[in-house]
Amino acid sequence: MSSLIAAVLVLLLGAAACLMPVGNRRRAGIGVLSQVIATVLVLTTVTPVLLGGAPITGELAWAHPVGTLRVRLDALGAFFLAWSLPMTLLGSVYAVGYLRPYFDTPRHLGLHYALLNLTSLSFVLVYSGDHALVFLLGWEIAALAAWLLVIWDYSNQKVRFAGFNYLVSTHIGLIFLVAAFMILYTHTASWDLDGFGQWLRGHAGAERNLVFLLLVTSFGLKSAFFPFHSWLPRAHAAAPAHVSALMSGVIHKAGLYALVRFIFLIGRPDEWMGWFLIGFSALSAVIGALYTVGQRDLKRLLGYSSTENVGIAGIGLGIGCLGLAWGNATLVALGFAGGLLHVLNHAFFKCQLFYAAGAVYQATHTVDMEKLGGLSRLMPWTALGFLLGGVAISALPPLNGFTSEFVIYAGLFTGQPIGTWAKVALGIAGALLAFVGAVSALSITRAFGVVFLGGARETSVHPPAEVSRWMLAPMAVHALGVVVLGVMPALGFMLVRGPTAIALTALPAGGADVLQPLADNLSRIGMVSGALALAIGALIGLRLRWARRPAGMHVVTGPTWGCGYGAPNPRMQYTGSSFSSDFGARFSSVMVTLKRQKAPQGYFPTDSYVVTDCVDAVERRLFSVIKHGDASATELSAQLREDDPRIAFGAALIAIVLVAGLVVLASGPLP
Amino acid sequence: MSTLMLSVHLLLVLVMPILLVGLVNRTKSRWAGRQGPGLLQSGWDLLRLLRKQPVYSTVATPLFRAGAWVVLAASLLAASIAPLLGAAAPLQFSHDFIVFAYTLGLGRLALMLSALDVGSSFEGMGAAREASFTAFIEPALFLLIGTAGLATGQTSFAGMIGQWHQAASFPWLALPAVAVLLVLLQAEASRVPVDDPMTHLELTMVHEVMILDHSGPELAAMQFAAALKMTIYAGLIAALLNPFDLQASPLAAIAVALLIMAGVAIVVGCIESLTARLRLRFVPGYLMGASLVAALCLGAAAWLAGAA
Repeated sequence: MSSLIAAVLVLLLGAAACLMPVGNRRRAGIGVLSQVIATVLVLTTVTPVLLGGAPITGELAWAHPVGTLRVRLDALGAFFLAWSLPMTLLGSVYAVGYLRPYFDTPRHLGLHYALLNLTSLSFVLVYSGDHALVFLLGWEIAALAAWLLVIWDYSNQKVRFAGFNYLVSTHIGLIFLVAAFMILYTHTASWDLDGFGQWLRGHAGAERNLVFLLLVTSFGLKSAFFPFHSWLPRAHAAAPAHVSALMSGVIHKAGLYALVRFIFLIGRPDEWMGWFLIGFSALSAVIGALYTVGQRDLKRLLGYSSTENVGIAGIGLGIGCLGLAWGNATLVALGFAGGLLHVLNHAFFKCQLFYAAGAVYQATHTVDMEKLGGLSRLMPWTALGFLLGGVAISALPPLNGFTSEFVIYAGLFTGQPIGTWAKVALGIAGALLAFVGAVSALSITRAFGVVFLGGARETSVHPPAEVSRWMLAPMAVHALGVVVLGVMPALGFMLVRGPTAIALTALPAGGADVLQPLADNLSRIGMVSGALALAIGALIGLRLRWARRPAGMHVVTGPTWGCGYGAPNPRMQYTGSSFSSDFGARFSSVMVTLKRQKAPQGYFPTDSYVVTDCVDAVERRLFSVIKHGDASATELSAQLREDDPRIAFGAALIAIVLVAGLVVLASGPLP
Repeated sequence: MSTLMLSVHLLLVLVMPILLVGLVNRTKSRWAGRQGPGLLQSGWDLLRLLRKQPVYSTVATPLFRAGAWVVLAASLLAASIAPLLGAAAPLQFSHDFIVFAYTLGLGRLALMLSALDVGSSFEGMGAAREASFTAFIEPALFLLIGTAGLATGQTSFAGMIGQWHQAASFPWLALPAVAVLLVLLQAEASRVPVDDPMTHLELTMVHEVMILDHSGPELAAMQFAAALKMTIYAGLIAALLNPFDLQASPLAAIAVALLIMAGVAIVVGCIESLTARLRLRFVPGYLMGASLVAALCLGAAAWLAGAA
């Protein structure tokens, strides 16, 4: 408790010191240093809780309308804190490299570092606060800090638009959250989440369902579930790379945290809630994955893949809900462990991919993949980082993305005695997940292949070189995590074991016996992944020995086979758009592709071009609904004349009926 | 799995790819009125390739050289999870089929990236086709596994596929299940009507165009991996239909498995001789059809289980 408060104070102090007139280098140093201290403080606090210790509780007296502030850090909050702060620290380190060109300019970088500190602060508040107002405060600090971080490049109108888009969306989410809290407060007269929980556990019914839907909407907006994601691609494309990474990997996981927290508060959710979560999440996963296929902006692509991955994690949480509803401990363990493990894994590989994309942007000044190509020879470390992250995000062994999807699949294809039709429904969800996996492999192949492989496409692009170590080091740490969690998933399971055990306490029978088989299964997966890695290594090793055997054998190279065409140039390589066009044509309702072109005309054509871009179908739909609503309202009002006596008569009639109805409702039928 | 069975399985993994490709080619030759090459010809071809000096593209990175071996390693791991002889496999544990599917996925990713590495638009075209065809066929495998799991109550790949024939729903679902597996074989091992391994026009190839720039040992690895994938799916069909228990009557089980795998190769050869490959824009429909059949199987299995 005291070290949490100390961490908060250190972060605040660091943020304040960042604003002092001490020069940009010192400001960055102060920011990173305060993050290091806060991370160490928080880690020493959460580690015992994560490893099975008692939750940390405490109280702070506060002025009247708020009352006592309760702090309660249980294994769920500890799990989220355990990686949120270190990853924010890595983001701050990356920022040193990313913002280096600004260090010697008059621009004040202290604000940026102060905001990163406030982001860390918001994690401490949200993940350890047991008071609804503390929770909302942390929620709001995170939202505002993220907004201000996104509009780093505010002089660009597009960036400002993306920022406001995000700000509006996140506050619409806040309205839903506040509405849910208001309903809960009217019933409990308490601001404590535990108090909310007592009411939620005992009162199944329409009002609890309403609260659940309000909360899912709010958390869905925070975590960018489909169809609440439209702010996301813009914000992620506009923000500096480390901010995109932190938003996607860390900050928006708060939505999933809150979802799990409230499921735990509900205790035994209704069965429909589980099915609803699975359906909602599967939709997010499928549509998010489809969106990634058409993007030509690398960071937009990664943004959409967040929608996909929160969907995958949400499927896990839905399975856990079903397990709670049915009283099936194995499903509870598989669902929550799988979902939370995916949250952790996603944080690792998504930040890494964004860092690699940021490195590409810093080296070439563009993230438009149609202009890039062949970067792996010039930026080998960045390429390796992106490749590892890409293999992980496609959930392929031997890296970490596979382990969490394995647990979620194990929940979907369970051998537990659940209803036959429930198995059919889960099996179909499993097939959708398989589709999502294949699609994300497609888009990551496309992204990596087009940007890093082949030859450079445009000569106008800034010739790249490997980026600074400040940027490579965070990537390396994340890469290490991706590999270690892949071959030793038992480590990841150690972190999610505590939160999963909390879910199991809602069931009557103790569930310690379902966690151990899962742990064993995960260690086995780790061994198989390790065996795969070893087999690959062994084959390559054999091949290298084989190549060396006849003495003096040298490598023969030649041009790529051009299928008979003798003068290919790099612009003729397969582009990202051509890679996705066949597939995209089958899903044109989701992947709306805009094409602008000027065909060559006349006998001596001068210039001609084709530009294709994949836009967000939901956003387009939203604007078209607004447009149509506006048009029909205008049309309707044009038909009505203001001085028409029938309108006055009708309005009066409605008013009288309304008043009479209210009187009757309030006082009961007249005698 | 006993040591004897383990060695038989491993022997099958090493030898059957060569034999099955030989059988397919022999069948096709017979339909064309030719004698055809020997059954072991593809094995001799592989040996010849292993001794050759490869030529790499000037654009290629180390990823290109490693890719073929990743493909081979992934196929070998998948082959040790797949039940070929009946209800047992060397690597067998709960939900191992997910490892099977995703290991093959890793191989596919390596294959596509090696293709993109040389910067040829033809190879990019092949990779794009491979990626999108996979997305259409992948649900079929999982739906089929879901059906088998529902029918048997098992959670391991070998248990589901190998014991399905004991379930009440099997007589109704055997034929569609075999059909789905056959389409999976055609898609994964690049056979007609999804892809034509004998085609000579780069514009219409899928698998062959991706390995255009591979030569020497790398080409051998790629070709063996492709043949191995065909063996795996033929083995799955064999395990599905094999009525003998591997423990009780091992010799009969092995003999029947070999016969069914050979039969599958002959059927594949007949299909390749008698039909043309589909036009590329119809292939996704064909693959989605298989997924749909698998989904219907799942529904039917639930309905039959409810009726019983």
